[in-house]
This record gives sequence, structure tokens and C-alpha cells, in this order.
Amino acid sequence: MTDKNLRFLVVDDFSTMRRIVRNLLKELGFTNVDEAEDGQVALHKLKTQHFDFIVSDWNMPNMTGIELLRAVRADAQLKPIPFLMITAEAKRENIIEAATAGASGYIVKPFTAATLEEKMNKIFQNLSK
Amino acid sequence: MSDFAGMEELLQDFLLESTELLSDVDNKLVELEKRPNDRALLNDIFRGFHTIKGGAGFLNVAPMVTVCHRTENLFDKLRNSELQLSTKLMDVILDATGAVRDMFTTLSQGPPPATPDPALLAALDAALAGNLEAVVESAPIVAQTSTNEPDWDALHVAVTSSQETHAAAPVASTPTPAAQPAAPVPTSVEVIPASAPVSTPSTAVAPAPKAPVKAASSGGSGSISGQENTIRIDTVRLDQVLNLSGEIGLTKNRLTTLRTEILQGNMETNTLRSLDEAISQLDLLVSDLQNAVMKTRMQPIGRLFQKYPRLARDLARQLGKEVELVITGEETELDKTMIEDLNDPLVHLVRNAVDHGVESPEERIASGKKPQSLVELTAEQVGDHIVIEITDDGKGMNPEVLRRKAIAKGLIDAETANSLDEKQCLQLIFLPGFSTKDQISNVSGRGVGMDVVRTNIQKLNGRIDINSIQGEGTRISISLPLTLAILPVLVVRACNQPFAVPLAMVREIIPIDTTAIQEVSGRPTIVVRDEILPLKTLSGLLNWEATQKPNFGVLMQSAEKSFILAVDSFVGRDDVVIKPLQNIRPKGVAGATLSGDGSVVLVLDMEDLLAGQLDNATAGSIMARNADNYAY
Repeated sequence: MTDKNLRFLVVDDFSTMRRIVRNLLKELGFTNVDEAEDGQVALHKLKTQHFDFIVSDWNMPNMTGIELLRAVRADAQLKPIPFLMITAEAKRENIIEAATAGASGYIVKPFTAATLEEKMNKIFQNLSK
Repeated sequence: MSDFAGMEELLQDFLLESTELLSDVDNKLVELEKRPNDRALLNDIFRGFHTIKGGAGFLNVAPMVTVCHRTENLFDKLRNSELQLSTKLMDVILDATGAVRDMFTTLSQGPPPATPDPALLAALDAALAGNLEAVVESAPIVAQTSTNEPDWDALHVAVTSSQETHAAAPVASTPTPAAQPAAPVPTSVEVIPASAPVSTPSTAVAPAPKAPVKAASSGGSGSISGQENTIRIDTVRLDQVLNLSGEIGLTKNRLTTLRTEILQGNMETNTLRSLDEAISQLDLLVSDLQNAVMKTRMQPIGRLFQKYPRLARDLARQLGKEVELVITGEETELDKTMIEDLNDPLVHLVRNAVDHGVESPEERIASGKKPQSLVELTAEQVGDHIVIEITDDGKGMNPEVLRRKAIAKGLIDAETANSLDEKQCLQLIFLPGFSTKDQISNVSGRGVGMDVVRTNIQKLNGRIDINSIQGEGTRISISLPLTLAILPVLVVRACNQPFAVPLAMVREIIPIDTTAIQEVSGRPTIVVRDEILPLKTLSGLLNWEATQKPNFGVLMQSAEKSFILAVDSFVGRDDVVIKPLQNIRPKGVAGATLSGDGSVVLVLDMEDLLAGQLDNATAGSIMARNADNYAY
């Protein structure tokens, strides 16, 4: 059983989308959620607060999701945090890019709470292995 | 719709945020025409469509996803230099943003948007395939829904070790949802009225499905029903309100304590002084609170301005002109309701500047100007007013031409016309029925005229002025109060009752000397500094029995006419908060307010009062009775 108190960071430049993701997480029982509007803000929050899970959009101004992912994986402290990449970029090179950069999972918009849960469970399974 | 909670609320947020995003995209598109290879711009626009698509996907707005997806692909190709921007391509892109905007409007009214216009999809597909010319010229073709998606599904599964095949489906299969035709939206006023008639002719392929929405919006001179009723407020401002209301609570407690003391007979100087202090403090806090609450209603005028570069661009292209619209002062703040009501007049003025104000490139070159003309739209706060100016560097207005035109159209007689100076001649364009173009163009010579613009501005207690220098250009200035919530008034008395009239209309107050009243064509008038002004008694306008002979005249300026309002006496000026009357709306009454002594004062709507009098079939008899009042 997953710990429902896990602290999430939802990163997206579109506030409606952050609310959508927040709502979906809430539906799955996760209520400990913070938001950031781009990679830069996210990185700052990650460095100053504790988070257990990152859900990030890809395409954002200032610092994109993939840049954030690379920065997180390059940071010894942040390195182990699971990173789920959300995007509508449905292209093969993107998926490979995300995978090689160290994404824990990849989910394509639009998705339902069930899909999100499935993705997250897979990530948790991989972690506990 | 979808399977998560708070859907309705989310939809509203989505619409609000996406509409802003789309306006931003629109402006960037206008920029892009100047710098077609600017990668940062291309990226920003790409991301705009991408973001809207993402949101629309979650909200199950399939047609919006379809249009955004294709446009996004187009920008992907543009930024990878697989495609080059052409004017034709730009038209398709602008049509696509128009279509998305129309869908926002439809969505905001409830029913899901109609299927995307097949001609638009066909044009987008053709553009993607790089053979735009072929399709735009031909008749609308139902879009082949083949998207140029690589088969990434398999790879996707391989990489992420999960099945996500459904994710691509909504995008790739261009669903044709059971969309109701967009017919039940006759009230759509929103933001497009101007662009609607403009964008249609640019691609001769706008077929039926688009028509209902466009038709509805193109009529839009009214702006009551479709307005947003949510507002985004900086939390700092809300905190201020909270803070002040807290302090008022504390002061109230202090007053309650003092009341108890006084009621118990404690009348010591100290107690009374404390009472005085507490009341002074309350006074201060209440006015601070009023200001703070008012601030929550203030919105940057940029929200409105950002729609106009696109408008100017479309119109200029249609007219074969080169126009740059430069905007400054978009951060200037104005009451939210005023911003909404300013849209129609400003749209009209921007269109006028592009259509009538500036010349064609050929004319400009002939008169030694550079071919591209400049239209500036500025806003700034000057004291307790907001001044909005629209300046063009066009040919200016010729007072003589205006004078002759007004006579030719029978709007004024030759004698009056000849007595006008140049500045007054410019004012003639505000007369109903005045249009300077001999041929009514399908651009600005239709629907609202300058008279409507002025009426709308006056409804906001504002003023509009024209300055024009022949050969150099025209400047139209609009001056508006910061807010409509607080109205400076002059309180007068008639029939033993106080009435408030808007101070903005008051020019001066004069004593009425009955011997100075002259009858001109049976109507009482008074000559003030060589100006013959009609005299109207307030009791007469209200159709009430006069209780005494009026002692004072308030010289008022209403629309183009001045008149003297005869009242029994006057009380003074005051800043009042108008409370609209519930359920009843007597003619000529804008609302009510409380005076300092607690009595109710009716606030008069002079325009309404005068209009009522003129429309009234019995106007003549009222006038006659008014005259009778002076017949001694």
C-alpha cells in the first residue's frame, strides 16, 4: 500500500493543468501536493523543501521538464526522487530522450486517474525492487 | 463529461486562462509577421497551442484538440524550417486561432463547441503538407483526417513498459463528436465582434458551420450578457481588505465599550475624547476599506488592449494598408466593469483609425510620409482620471469637409454650420447619422457610429475629445473616472425633496432671474454669455407638481446639448455610492443613496430623464406646463 502522505510537486506552466493533476492525485488519495509553474521554480522548491515525487510537464518556458529532469538527476540529494513526465509530445525521440535522461515514467495527456495510478504503481514497484 | 470532480469550475478556469493565452498568441502572431524567423516567437506560439490542446484534452473538447494539434504541428514544422511562413499560411493560422476563440465563446455558454470547420481543417492539412495554394483556392473539402503522426505507439510501449495506446487516439482519430450546431448562442458578445467580419473574407472558404457563431458575434454592440463574472485578484489586495475589516472590527469594539460607559453616565472629557478619536479612526478606516475594495475591482487595461494589434493587422491587410499599432500603458488599471464596456468604443476607434485615419501606402509616399503608418493606443492615469488616447499619423480631418458634409446630410442647417469654429466642426462627427465616407465600407461605416461611441463613453461618465491636424493625423482622447462605484454628485432640492445629479455634467450654477427668461418657439430659455440655453424645471422633467418658483439654475452639459436645470435650491456636492433600486426602475432614476443625515436621496440619470421627455408624446404639453410656471 502506498503511503498517502507522500509529498508531490506538480510542475506545469498552465495553472489549469496543475489543478487537473492536483485533482487527479486527490482522487487517488494524495493530498500533500505543492505546485511550481516552471522548472526553475520547481528546482528551487526541490532544493529548499522535501518532496517524494515529481510530476512535471515537458514544455514550459524558462526551464523545460527535460532540463528539470536532468538537473534533478545530476543532484546527489534529489537524484532518488521518482520523476513522472507528463506531456502531449507524442513522439518517439521524446520518449527516448525522457527515458535516457532518467524519467521514472512517461504519461501522455489527456489521462485519467486510473492511468495515473497505474503509472505510479509501476514506478513504486520498480522502486521497491 | 470526464471522470473527475470540480469539472465545471475547472472549465471556467481553463477558459479564463486559455483566453488570455490565446490573446497573447494572437499578438505574437502579429509580431511574427515582422520577424518570421524568430525562433523564440515560434516556440512561444507553439507552446501556446500545445498548452491549450493539453487542457482541452482533459476537458474532452475534441474539436479544440484537433484544431490546436494541427496548428501546433504547423509551428513545429515552421520552427524546424520545414515550412516557410507565407501570408496565405498566416491567414490559415489566424483562422485557426479565430476558430479556437469561437470555441471558447461557445464553451463558456454551455453546450460543447461544434465540429471544427472542415474547410479550416482542410486548409491546415494542406498547409502541413506544404501545398496550401491548392486548397485555399478550391471549394471546401471535408478534411482527410490522416495526421502525419509517426507510429510512436509501439516505441512508446517499448520505452515505458506500459500500454498507453489510448492516449494517442483522441488526437489521431479526429473525432466527430455529436456536436450540436452552435445555434443557441445569440448573446455571444465577447471579444470577437471586430475580427469576425474581417477574417471571413480573407479566406473565401468560410462555410456554414462557422456562420452562426460569427453572425451572432458580429452584431455585437451591446455587452451585457456575455461578460465574465469571475475576477482574478492579487492576494495582496485581498489581504488588505481583510486586514482593514479586522481593524474596523476592533474600532467597533472600542466604540461599544465607550457607548456602555457613556450610557452609564460617564461623561468625562477623557471618555468623550476617546469617542472622538475612535470615530475619527473609523472614518479613516472606512475610507481606506472603500479604496481597498475598489482596488480589487481594478484590472489592467492591457487585457483589453491586447486584442487590438490583431484587429488592426487584419483590417489593414484587408484594406491594403501598412499599419503598426503601438500600445503603451497596458498596466494602467481601471474598474473591471468599465473595461468591459470600453471594448466596443475602442474597437470602433481602432478600426476608424485604420480605415479612415491613415492613408494607403501610395498616398503616404505621395505626401512624403513613410509607407507604414503608425497608430498609437495609450492609457495613463492622470490624477483621478484615466486618459486613453488613440493617435494616428494619417491625413487628419478637414473641418470644411466635415462642415459641408453635415449640411449636405441635413444634420445641421447652414447658418449654424457657418457659426462653428474649426474645433467645433470636428465635433460634428459625433452627430448621429454622420459618416465621412461617401461609400459605406464594410469595415467601419456600419453599425455603430461615433455618436454611439460617445454615448457609451458618457455612460461611463467619461468625456471624448478630438484633435486633428490636416496632413499630420488625428488624436482622440477619452477621459474616464477611475471607477463608477463612487460618483461625485451635486445635491439639489425640488418639490421639497433632495436629488443628486452627476457632478461631471454640471458646468455652473446660476441664480434664475425670472425677467431673464425668454420664450423661443414657445419654450423658456435663458441667455448665458450669448448662449441661448433651454430651461427645464426638474419638477417638470419628473412630471411632478412644482411646489415653488425655482430659484437656481444648474447649467448642465448632456451629450451634445447644454441646458439649464431649474431647481428650488441646492445642498452641495458629495461623493456618493449609488445603490441600484431593486425591482422598480422609475424613469430617470439611476439609483438611491443616503445623505449624511440618513435621508434617502434619489440619484438622477439625466440622459434617461431627458430622453424620456423627448420620446414622450405629451412632451409638448409638459413643455407648455413648464412655460406656464414662468408665465407670471
